[in-house]
Parts: sequence; C-alpha cells; structure tokens
Amino acid sequence: MKKIFVICNLLLFICHWTFAQSDFDAANAAYAEGRYDEAAALYQAIIDEQPNAQVYYNLGNTRYKQGELAQAILSYERALRLRPNYPDAKYNLAFAQSKITDNIPEQDFFLSAWTRGLRNSLSEHSWLAMSISLFILGLVGILLFLLSRMLWLRKTAFHLAWVALLFSLVAGLNAGSLHRRDAQRNEAIIVQGIVNAKSAPDRSGTDLFTVHEGTKVSIRETIGEWANVRVGQNEGWIRLTCLERI
Amino acid sequence: MFLIGIALSAFADEVVFRAQAPSQVVVGRPFQLTYSVNQRSRDLRAPEFTDFDLLAGPYTSTSSSTSFVNGHRTSSFTQTYTFTLMAQRAGTFTIGPATVKVDGDNVQSNGVRIQVLPEDEQPTQQSTSQPGNSRTSSQSGSSEQVNSENIFVRTIASKTRVQEQEALMVSYKLYFANVDVAQLTNNTKLPEFTGFLKQELEQGEIQTELEHYNGRNYQTAVLYRTILYPQHSGDINIDPAKFEAVLRVQTQQRMRSIFDDFFGTYTNVTKMLTAPGVTIHVAPLPSGKPAGFSGGVGKFTLTPSISQTELQANEAVTIKLDITGAGNMKLLKTPAVDWPEGFEPYDPKVTNNFSTTTAGLSGTKSIEYLAIPRNPGDYTIPAVTFSYFDIEDKAYRTLSTPEYTIHVKRGAGASEKGEEGTVVRYTQKEDIKQLGTDIRYIDTRPMKKSAAHTVQHADLIWLWYVLPLIIAVLLLIVLRKQIQEAADINRMRYKRANKVAQKRLKAAAAAMKANQKDTFYAAIEQAAWTYLSDRLSIPTAELNKDNIAAILAQKGVNEALIAEVKNVLSTAEFARYAPTTDHAMNDLYTATTNLINNLEDQKI
Repeated sequence: MKKIFVICNLLLFICHWTFAQSDFDAANAAYAEGRYDEAAALYQAIIDEQPNAQVYYNLGNTRYKQGELAQAILSYERALRLRPNYPDAKYNLAFAQSKITDNIPEQDFFLSAWTRGLRNSLSEHSWLAMSISLFILGLVGILLFLLSRMLWLRKTAFHLAWVALLFSLVAGLNAGSLHRRDAQRNEAIIVQGIVNAKSAPDRSGTDLFTVHEGTKVSIRETIGEWANVRVGQNEGWIRLTCLERI
Repeated sequence: MFLIGIALSAFADEVVFRAQAPSQVVVGRPFQLTYSVNQRSRDLRAPEFTDFDLLAGPYTSTSSSTSFVNGHRTSSFTQTYTFTLMAQRAGTFTIGPATVKVDGDNVQSNGVRIQVLPEDEQPTQQSTSQPGNSRTSSQSGSSEQVNSENIFVRTIASKTRVQEQEALMVSYKLYFANVDVAQLTNNTKLPEFTGFLKQELEQGEIQTELEHYNGRNYQTAVLYRTILYPQHSGDINIDPAKFEAVLRVQTQQRMRSIFDDFFGTYTNVTKMLTAPGVTIHVAPLPSGKPAGFSGGVGKFTLTPSISQTELQANEAVTIKLDITGAGNMKLLKTPAVDWPEGFEPYDPKVTNNFSTTTAGLSGTKSIEYLAIPRNPGDYTIPAVTFSYFDIEDKAYRTLSTPEYTIHVKRGAGASEKGEEGTVVRYTQKEDIKQLGTDIRYIDTRPMKKSAAHTVQHADLIWLWYVLPLIIAVLLLIVLRKQIQEAADINRMRYKRANKVAQKRLKAAAAAMKANQKDTFYAAIEQAAWTYLSDRLSIPTAELNKDNIAAILAQKGVNEALIAEVKNVLSTAEFARYAPTTDHAMNDLYTATTNLINNLEDQKI
C-alpha cells in the first residue's frame, strides 16, 4: 500500500514537472513575441507550483521589459537565492540596479563585503556538504596522524587535518549564515515608487529619509505593519506594504 | 483700363479670339465686355446675356500696326467687338463663349466669369456714422472723405486656430472707396511676428480688385503677405501694423478761377492707416511623438534611393532621400543614417528647393548621405525613418526607407601584395565596441530542478558532525589496540631473539659434533634468519638479504657488519649444497655466533 502511494506521488511529481516545462516553453515563446503580460502570468504560475531559479530569472526579465524595475530586481534576487552561481542573473541584477534612483554606497569594510560575496557565491546546501566533507577529511587526517608510523605520512596528515577542519568551520559558518538569512528573510526590496522612512512605527513619525523603488533594505524588526529597516547607514520605519521580502 | 487694345504679336495664321471683362462688377453699374480677334473676321455670334442687361453694342473697331525692327517686319491687327452690359443682381455668373467667322471657319472665344457685387448700402452707413447728413460720398469734403470707412487696412489671417508649426498666412489688405490713393509711402511699420517663423511671399506689382465688404464696394489691394509658422503653443498676439498712404483730396478753399474749378483743386494728404492686431490660437502637437520625429508638420512623401548595393571596399556609396511636400520644410531635421561599423560616413549634403505659396512652403529637400566602406563583407543599413505630423489627418506619420543590404567586395589591389596595391589594408586590431546595453536574454534551457530554498531539519545538522566523530573515535580505539598488540608481539620476539638464536646454535653445535652436515647447516641458517626477523620486526615473507641490508643500513649499522651479515647468510646457503669440511663448519659456526653477539651489542 505504501509503495503504491509513493509511486503515485512520484508520477504526480513527474506530471507536474512536464506540465511546468511546457508552461515554461509557452511563457518563453510569449516573451519572445513581446507578450510580456502573458509571459509574466505563466512564469508566476510555475513559481507558485515550484520555485525555480530559471523561472525567476525569466520572470525578472519580463518584469524589466514591462518597466517594473523593483519587481525585476526582486525576481533576480530570488533566482540567485536558488542558484547563487547564475551569471546571467548576476549580470541582469547589476544592470537593473544601475537603473534605480537610489545610489547606496557600499559602507562596509572591504573584508566583510568580500566575505559576504564569498558566502553568497554558493548555496546553503553546497556549503553544508562542503563543510561535512571537509570535517570527515579532517578526521581521517587526525586518524592517520595518530596511527601512522611513517614520519612523512604523519606530517602530511597533520597539516591536512588542521587545514580541512579550518575550512570545514568556515564552510559551516557560511551555511549557517545563509540559513539564518533565508529563514528570517530579512532582506527586502522597496516596491513603492518613493517611500519616506519614519522615526517611529507610526504615521505621525518624523520623516527621516527617502528611498526609491528597487532599493535593497534589511529588516531589523517588525511591529504590526511597520518594519524597522536599514539602508546603508540609515535606519527608519517603513510600512510593510512598501516592501517585498526576497 | 480693361479696354486697352491688345497688341497681339501672334503670327497671321494663328487665330486668337479672346473675351475680356472685369472680374468684379457692381449691380447697376455698366461695364464693357470686349471680344478681340487678331484676324479680319465677320459674323460675330455673341452668347445670350441672361443675367445682364445689354445697354449698347456691339461696336466694332479695328486697329492695325506695322513696324520694322532690324529689317524684320512685324504687323499686328486687332478687331474688337464691344458690348456695354449692366448686371441685374449680385452673384457669380459666367458668360458663355462667342463665335466668329474667320476665313469661313468658326472660331470660339473663351468664356468669362464675372463676380457681381451688390450695390453699396450707402444710406444706412451714412446714417449710422453721420446722422442727419445726406451728402453723397462723391461730394463729401476732405475731412469726411478721409475717414476710416473710406480707407482702412484689414489684417486677414487665413486661420486663427492652428496647430504648432502649421502654416498660416497673414495679409494686410488696403480697402478704399471714394478716395484717390496717390501712393503708399515706405513708412510702413510691420509687427515683429514674435513666436513665428516668417516666410514672406513675393509681392509683385500691387493690383487692385473690387470687393464687397460690409455692404460697400471697395477697391482693394494686398499690401503685404507672409506665411507664418507658430513656434510654440498658446495664444500668440500679432501686433497692429501701420501703413502710410498719400491721398489726393479735393480742397475746400474757395475757387479762385474758372480753371481751378475746371481742373479741381487737390492737395496731398498723408494718412496713417493702422491694421488691427490679431490673436492666433496655437494648439500644441498631440502627445505620442514617434521616436524619429523631425519637427516636420505638413504633408510629406519620402523617396529614397541608393547609388549601388554591390561595390568594392573604399568605394563610396550614397543614399539619397527626397522629402517632398508642403509644410515647415525649413525646420525639418535631417534624419540620421545608422551606418554599420566599418563605414566611414561623411556629413550629409542637403539641397533645398522650396517655393513659397499661399499655402506655405512646398518643394523638395534632398539629403545625400555619403559613406565609404573600409572592409569587405555584407552589411545591412537599417531603415531610415522620418516622422512628421500630418496636418490633414491630425496624426503622426512615419515614413521609412527600406533596409539596404550592401555587398562590399574586396577592393582591387588589396588582395594582392600590400605594397603593390593602392589600398592600404587595415591591420590595426580593434577592441569590441560597446554599442548599447540591455539585459541578457531569458534562459531558454530546459528547466533544472532547483534545490529547496533552505536546508530542512536544520536542527539535526549536528548529527552530520557528531556521527563521523564517533566513528573516528571508535576506529582510533580499535586500531590503537591492534597496533599495541602487534607492538607487544614484536617486543617479545625482540627480547627472545637472542635466546632463540642461542638455542638454535646449540643444536647446530650438537649437529657439528655428530657430523650431521645437513642438520648443522639448516640450524645455522634458521638461527641467522630467525634472529634477524625477530630482531628487526620483519615479517618472514619479506625476508631477503637485500631487504635486511637496507634496514640495517637505515638503523645505522656499520658497513663491515652488514657485509658480514650478507657473508654469513650466503655461506650458510651455499655450504648446504656444496661439499664441505669440518673446518668450514666450525668457521661458519664461529662467524654466526660472533655476528649475533655483535648485532646484540648494536642495540638495534
């Protein structure tokens, strides 16, 4: 009985997948002919069924062609979440970001920017797999070091062990960091044309600064329908309806 | 003035028969209709004058002249038939053609169109302007004669509601009645026409025409005409214009002599005439201007042509655009030709052939684009588009040339050796030029399944680290134990090595005494091998002389001793199969005993 259930599930999944592929082809054709509204609806339907990096990327292109810059950036970001090593998505994201109004200078120290870039270059799964493999390699190294009687082997094993364990730690930290980021979803894109950030989660709060659509912000906390966001060095409260989490 | 005889310089055999009449007449005023023929004729058949009263006629008159110029004799002859007619009512009428017989052939004249103007509504006008005064205008004095009803200038705009850049004509027309205009002075002040592009119309000699205006018949003359193109939207005012006319006015001073009375006394009076200003309402061009909008407003056609589509490198190719039509042609921007990379374009040559008409500028603007391809290949020149606002349809129109495909062959000489050819081959490398930027195209590869967004069961991840660690620790413990045990065995063998060897040697000594040769050698060999195996922890399988020598050398045993070990081992091996003596057996025994003792001292 259980077997039948599993097989049914598998068949259902395959069906879904082939349907999704035909929808994908139909959407691509619509895009090629410039029917962007239709293409966007089809891509969105596939994503609702099963998120996919390629579909997000194509949806981003469609949104860009429709002139919806913020939605395009959002889609590219989501595509890169699913497949960090996606050169086309990276290129188009950078291109779309060059068209937005706000110019947020990179405030971070270059090292932290570099580490963040490194972290984002692989997916959480990849980092985790790498960390575990390196950990096992490190353990093998330790065993060899402890048990071998040959001096060169012991030396090699010792260096291998500490290097592998160090990298395993780095990879594990990256995986954890990515997991936290994706679980909390605390990065968002401004989707409203112009938003004034307030000093308090309240309409009457003083306007602190202005952000424009397409800008990436990080959400620090939310109260009711307000979110405390950080853009560069600025912090302020923005209504959640003006944002869309990546 | 319409009765001037026409001196026809036509040849005698060419019959010209023409009807002439003023184009405008007034009801109740007689006028003359003349038919003139340049040959002797007879039997005139005039048409029926249905709308006119025939007062007199036809009167026939002839005139002829002969002149010699440079020995050439030219003669002319004119026969004229004159009718005096009077119009019965206002309107526009056509008098049909007349026929006349010349040498027995019937010749037909042209028809005449006559506009009949109504009579002056003199009494009412007089009563409104000067109540109680019953003088007729012909008898009025100078002060009344030169009033603004008898002479004035009107500003006539062909349209007052126009689109931006739509042509309109503004003319200043002089109206006069019952006054004698001697001349117009040069003291004319025309407005600036700010906000317009002005294109003056050529003004020939001033011609007068009769026109019925505000219930009166006036002699009119166009003083100035210009075509205007509004340059911005909104209400644009044209300021009043000033003209100065000199009028001949009968003086009112008392007559001094009969001649004065007979000839009349006139003085010249200068009169400033002001034409009122006018406001033009200019509507802006509708939104949705096409990308290639050139600012043109009007109606245009585009005739493109290309000089050649097959040519050699470094030969010139010319694309010619003829923009023909009417509108603000002077303001047309030259459309740009997007030459492909590798073409060396030159500045386009523009030839304007315009004429100004009352409807605006019309004509042809020819633009020649010249470019020289430097590299062979097939190139496509994209369509050149020219957009304008169609003033009739009130919509933007885009005209475009076809796409031209040009095949550029390798230039002559370039295919041969460089220095012989006249054409310099470009060997300079070029970087890829960035022509524009856009997003990359969509991903059309088949969909690949994306991994789930985040790792599931993140709280159990630590197991992936702890389980290998436990396995490693267990492995360590097990392997350690085995190694320990192996080490213990070796240790035991090491310690027992000498004892075992001594036991074997004793057996060997016993065999020697008993002269059992085989047993002796076997015991000696075994003693040596077993000792070395135990002492050096070498498994029996790996035992051989070279191996032992290598390990001994590694452990720092001196060369002499190693040589001795080899010697003993080989002696024992050989002696076993060779005939030997007691003496040899004794020597070997001693050597082996010494060797074992020496190795024992080495503390290996």
